[in-house]
Amino acid sequence: MKIAYRHLVKHIKESPSIEHISNKLFQLGHEHEIDGDIFDMEFTPNRGDCLSINGLLRDLAVFYKVELKQEIFSEKLNDLQLDFENLSENICPKISFLKLEIDQVPGRYKNSLENYFSDLGLKKNNFFTDVSNYLSYESGQPTHCYDANKINNKLVFHEIEKNEEFETLLDKKIILKNKNPVFSLNNEVINLAGVVGGKSTSCSADTKTVIIECAFFKPEAIIGKSVKYDIQSEASHKFERGVDPDCQDRVLRRFIKLVSEHANIKDMSIISYKYKDYPAHQIPVNVKKINQIIGINITENEYLNYLSKLKFDIREGFIKVPSFRSDVKTQNDLAEEIARIIGYNNIPTSEINIPKNKKTNHKDIENKLRFFLLDHGFYEVINSPFVSLSAKEAIKVDNPLDSNRGYLRTNITNSLVENLLYNERRQKDSIKFFEISDVYSFSSGINKKRKLSIIASGRVGLNYEDFSKKINLKYASNLFQQILPNEDFDFQILSRDSMDTKIKNEIISLEVNLDKFPNDILAYEELSSSPEYFNKYIPISDRPSSFKDISYLVKDYSKMKELQDLLLGYQSDIIKDIYIFDYFNNSKIEETKVGFRFIFQSKKTTLTAEEIDMIYNDIVNNSLGIKGVTIPGI
Amino acid sequence: MPEHTHISPPELIKDRGSLHPINHMKDSIMTLLTSFGFEIIDGPEIETEEFNFDMLNIKKSHPARQMHDTFYVENKLNLLRTHTSPVQIRGMLEKKPPLAFISGGKVYRKDDDATHLPMFHQVEGIYVDENVSFAQLKDLIYKIIYSLFGDGVELRFRPSYFPFTEPSAEVDILSKEGKWLEILGCGLVNPVVLENCNINSNKYSGLAFGLGIERIAMLKHGVTDIREFYKSNLDFLTQFK
Repeated sequence: MKIAYRHLVKHIKESPSIEHISNKLFQLGHEHEIDGDIFDMEFTPNRGDCLSINGLLRDLAVFYKVELKQEIFSEKLNDLQLDFENLSENICPKISFLKLEIDQVPGRYKNSLENYFSDLGLKKNNFFTDVSNYLSYESGQPTHCYDANKINNKLVFHEIEKNEEFETLLDKKIILKNKNPVFSLNNEVINLAGVVGGKSTSCSADTKTVIIECAFFKPEAIIGKSVKYDIQSEASHKFERGVDPDCQDRVLRRFIKLVSEHANIKDMSIISYKYKDYPAHQIPVNVKKINQIIGINITENEYLNYLSKLKFDIREGFIKVPSFRSDVKTQNDLAEEIARIIGYNNIPTSEINIPKNKKTNHKDIENKLRFFLLDHGFYEVINSPFVSLSAKEAIKVDNPLDSNRGYLRTNITNSLVENLLYNERRQKDSIKFFEISDVYSFSSGINKKRKLSIIASGRVGLNYEDFSKKINLKYASNLFQQILPNEDFDFQILSRDSMDTKIKNEIISLEVNLDKFPNDILAYEELSSSPEYFNKYIPISDRPSSFKDISYLVKDYSKMKELQDLLLGYQSDIIKDIYIFDYFNNSKIEETKVGFRFIFQSKKTTLTAEEIDMIYNDIVNNSLGIKGVTIPGI
Repeated sequence: MPEHTHISPPELIKDRGSLHPINHMKDSIMTLLTSFGFEIIDGPEIETEEFNFDMLNIKKSHPARQMHDTFYVENKLNLLRTHTSPVQIRGMLEKKPPLAFISGGKVYRKDDDATHLPMFHQVEGIYVDENVSFAQLKDLIYKIIYSLFGDGVELRFRPSYFPFTEPSAEVDILSKEGKWLEILGCGLVNPVVLENCNINSNKYSGLAFGLGIERIAMLKHGVTDIREFYKSNLDFLTQFK
């Protein structure tokens, strides 16, 4: 909600700066951004009472001397003769109607009304609607204006439950569905209560006689309607969060005053219906409890002084909560008021000592498995559970984001296959992933299984011992022999037939239920770095990578280290990785063969052959400068 | 070959994998919290409205429940938990105070853009004992934030609103660029929630806090797009060894 600084400060005696008010608003918990001299406020949903100039000033009154300069019409008003029936008093326990007739529609606005539109850059509509909108901004109470000449029969408020078309005053046609609180005329909906009025009875630029409705609707009757019908409604935003149930008379009298500043009122009358009383909520004065909740030590006088600044009334040992503060019900709510006034940051800390628990073996086996897999080159992944394909037992999402995410997965392997193909498309040739997750299915109830899934394909590793070994069933079963020598695991070879890939490497997978996992797993030490040590991420390139291999023949072994240092330490912006993929020492003929792989990738562009060759040639030339080192073929 | 030359093959670099950075962050935070005395508990990701909302004082009329951000399953009989708080409820129903629980895991909201994902991770904690105060909550939050971001970090508490805590606060840290960044939400457990769990709120009070793991991981690692975490791209994952 946008609120102009000048609309606030004109009621504050100290005339604080915008920064001063901003700091106080933050202290009170009212988040905002400042654009010029406009506060763009974001209130928490419990503070509907702050959605207005007056509401915000009530809160700021704990820091400043606030004097509201808003006159109201205070003389006696005639009774309005209105044919009205309320068939749903439970959701509209209070409602008033004011009828006004003016001699001429004003061409220009004055004072606060004009400032509201000009300072906030808002578009004017018609006179009565403009007054209504301004008043909602000033007081927090929405009102609705009907062109009185169009109210030609009995007006009925009721909650209907039928499909009915309704055209809003914003020219939008909607079909009302399920339960909706509405005002009807001649059996037709003319107003979706608390959200938006109808076109058929709305005011126009010529309207001189108006009926203004000012009601208290129960939030639960209004909530969700504007979202349901996709209507931006300031009124429903306020009604959903709760308006002051006791303000109708004052608001309508203020309406009269604002109109009278712009036009001659020829006739006016009012009628109010009250179906339920809203007695003030009372909470016993208990400063000891407040001190205990916050962890401070203030006196009862200080405590009550704070509350009275927020318009809480203290009588005979009880705190009477003002009608606009429906969010305050308990001692904890009062404690929050005091904490806000003192300032959360000004409350001293008090040392906490939680009794120490025995060390728990939480997910002991699971963590051993994770670290074991890590040590064998596996990367842990996390996948979304939402999938399009439904196994018979898959749980259906009632309101999915889209049809491709309409079910919960019943296995992890399919997600890992997608991960594998994604990385193969990025020229990765040694891929080992695992994921541990709860997996849900439905058969005579919801079933939860904690599962481990593994997928592996391509080279066993990128070092010179593993480079030429391919991942296969033997590799996989040998892997688990190390920690579970007595168990057989059902590793699968996944067919690539239905996969969109030309790569032929075998895909080995395993999916096991961890709830039934053998607990005789051999000891495995967990390594977990403390939160202080986290790598800074370097944004990855989405450009294709390529590689070049260079195989060396080293006759003088004493030069091996020099060669390694030169190549493994070679620096270039377009080299992403360098490793030794091949090594063989033939001691009989005193020869060593060593192969280096260079992975090229640029962060910004797709590399050309010339760019790669330039670096490659530089590497070759530098390395051949080492005596006793040759590259066969060059 | 000269006689003194010792044949030692090049270092055999075993390619070690990595934990997923989100799980690593979650585990690290949970390890930290267990060192403060918290016990780890788990709960289901498919929850009932009762545990996800009602028991936590999130009424049917509450905007949080009406913002259409909940995934429902099985004809609205159940839902995907929108936070890890229902685990605390289950814990409080099982054990009597004093109690100190943490739970961490996946939560779901109907959101999908550069800063929000339909699945993300939270860690939440609750401590219920006699005379637990807001001043103690502040002490705990300072300890957590200092452990995560270093002793020198400047932080501030802002009043906020959660139906299950009262008073409620959000905590921000000051970035090196001078910007306040929201880190966690916390508060004193609303007495209504304690009573819902058959805990005498006249005798006991509690504190609770919750952190979004992705947010902390993004800050710690300097990742700017949350979606990077879930592409399973080896170029990304290899950076978190």
